[in-house]
Amino acid sequence: MDTIQLAATDRAPLVDFDFASGRLQLRGESYPEDAAAFFGPLLQALRGYLAEGGVDPIVCEVGLVYFNSSSAKALMNLFMLLEDAAAEGRPVTIRWHFAEGDETIEEAGEDFAADFAHGRFEMVREQPA
Amino acid sequence: MTADSTPSGAAPRRGGSLRGAGPRRSSDFQDAAGFGDAPRGDGGAATMRPGALRGAARGRDRDSLAHTLFLRIYPVIAVVVLVTQLGIAWINHGERIRLYGERADLMAALTAKAIARPDWSADPAIYRQPVEALTLDPAFRAASLRDATGAVVMSLGDMPRGRAFDLITSQADLIAAPGAAPLGRLTLTISAGDLRGNAETQALLALATSLILMLAFVVTLHANVRRHVLAPLKRLLAAMRAVERKDWVPVDLEGEFRASNEIDVISQAFNRMVEGLRTGDEAKQLLLQLEQAHARLEAANRLVLESIGYARRIQSSVLPERTALAGTGLEIAVLWEPLHQVGGDYFWLEDLDGLGLVLVADCTGHGVPGAFLTLIVATALDRILHERRLRDPAAILEALDTMVRSQLRQDGRGAESDDGLDCGLCIWDPARREIRFAGAGLALTAVTDGVATRIRGAKRGLGYPQRPGTRFAVEDVTLPVAPGSTFYLMTDGISDQMGAPGDGGPMRRLLGHRGVAAILEAHRDRPLAEQVAALEAALVAYRGGEARRDDMTLVAFRPRPEAPGRVV
Repeated sequence: MDTIQLAATDRAPLVDFDFASGRLQLRGESYPEDAAAFFGPLLQALRGYLAEGGVDPIVCEVGLVYFNSSSAKALMNLFMLLEDAAAEGRPVTIRWHFAEGDETIEEAGEDFAADFAHGRFEMVREQPA
Repeated sequence: MTADSTPSGAAPRRGGSLRGAGPRRSSDFQDAAGFGDAPRGDGGAATMRPGALRGAARGRDRDSLAHTLFLRIYPVIAVVVLVTQLGIAWINHGERIRLYGERADLMAALTAKAIARPDWSADPAIYRQPVEALTLDPAFRAASLRDATGAVVMSLGDMPRGRAFDLITSQADLIAAPGAAPLGRLTLTISAGDLRGNAETQALLALATSLILMLAFVVTLHANVRRHVLAPLKRLLAAMRAVERKDWVPVDLEGEFRASNEIDVISQAFNRMVEGLRTGDEAKQLLLQLEQAHARLEAANRLVLESIGYARRIQSSVLPERTALAGTGLEIAVLWEPLHQVGGDYFWLEDLDGLGLVLVADCTGHGVPGAFLTLIVATALDRILHERRLRDPAAILEALDTMVRSQLRQDGRGAESDDGLDCGLCIWDPARREIRFAGAGLALTAVTDGVATRIRGAKRGLGYPQRPGTRFAVEDVTLPVAPGSTFYLMTDGISDQMGAPGDGGPMRRLLGHRGVAAILEAHRDRPLAEQVAALEAALVAYRGGEARRDDMTLVAFRPRPEAPGRVV
């Protein structure tokens, strides 16, 4: 499975899906004009990776400072794939990064966390540098 | 090599001597080298434009290179050759004169020797024959023989009077024995007239030689100038004309004849210049293309903007009058600001038989796609309120969910649309002085006594493909209205303002609903229209240089304190 690496743009986040090591990363802002077109290939790749049925742990780091509702929907789909894998016994950890004081992102993380029963969903509070 | 190509009507010539085999006029060379075929330009313009080079080349009556070289070099060479030749002739002539003198001396001495004996003058047989023999010399002119007393014994020929340049006179004493006294004297005069003719011939030869030299010089000079200067210059000029026409050809350095070093250097410099110009011209062309592309883009953009402007008028006309709830005793202020003229934010205000309905919806997407969804919502809402006559907030949302999914065909498998909306809905009942709220992903903010509270409702939005049979369910929240309470329904575009928080922290983050609530609390006692204006200004300040991320809609409403009375 190939690594997917996309540089951040002003409307799309940095993407670093290193399937070999089980580390997935999203950082930046996400409000692409067509979120389905942006996230579609990522979901497809993740689906293919999970279908291989490995047992290596997966860690997904998400550090978004803004995402629009279409991106939220796409994130939900992504997390559902991971939760399904966790339900089948795969160790899955989501690390949700948010800035101290950013209740919007913090609440969004809490909303996502509520849907996880098998995977770990960690809230990572980042202090200003 | 003639001057027959002199242009007609030419101005008075400069250096017009030596015409026969002389140098050509500058225009002759220009014609010969192909410099003169261009149409006459005024040659005065300083800017580079087609024809400028040619104009400059012929604007002034400047002598050609060969002409100048000829005039400068030829007189020197001609004078030197002539002087040299004349000098040689002069030396030659002197030498001959000297030889003639020696000859005369010899002849006189020999004759005197033959005659010299005692009493020679007494016997003519002794002296007559030797003296007469002297006349055999074709140069002989006169001879006289005198005895010891000086009396003339014999004289032959005519003794010319005065001095003559071409006569040589020699004298010899008649001496019988060494040391003896002279017995007489022989005077011999011969003519050097032959030599004069000889000298004239020499002078003519010298002149002829200079003329031939001149001819050879002119021919050689011209041929060489043509080959090594004019031909390369012609190539250079041709290349310059091509460059004037923006045809970026370098000059051919390896022509039929190798150019002189100087012209070679100039040609190379020219080629480098052409390369530079070509590059610059290409850049200019690219810039031009870019400008054209930009103009086309601008036109296309204008078209799109005009079209969207039109769409905005349509979408605005779907939105309700801001005064629709005046009869229900609500003070209302609205902020509706799509990100791109039109958008996915929608609000509705309606007086439903005395009940005030306030609805705010945030459909997925913004711009035109978002606007499409708002029209679906508007249509569905109209049917829900006026055909099905639902008045219960939760029931209205549930019905809206069903209808939107039905409209977007999201219930079946493989639905194409993954769209939906967040929606918040309040029903104000003036008789009971209470507000019933139901939300789907869109919260109600209430500010009472300067404290903001947030009622979230259901997390899920309306619409979106669901597994068949899944129904949206939410419960009404009923809020008694305290005097001065203000309520706000807003889309997340209001709180999702990216910027730097005022606490000096370096991290960019969203303003968030607490940030919005803080702004609203700060302005809680002002009329709602002013509150909304202050909020908008505060949002601009928070964003700083950041762009807005989303459509923004906020509806603020506040029940008026006086007892509600229906105004019909």
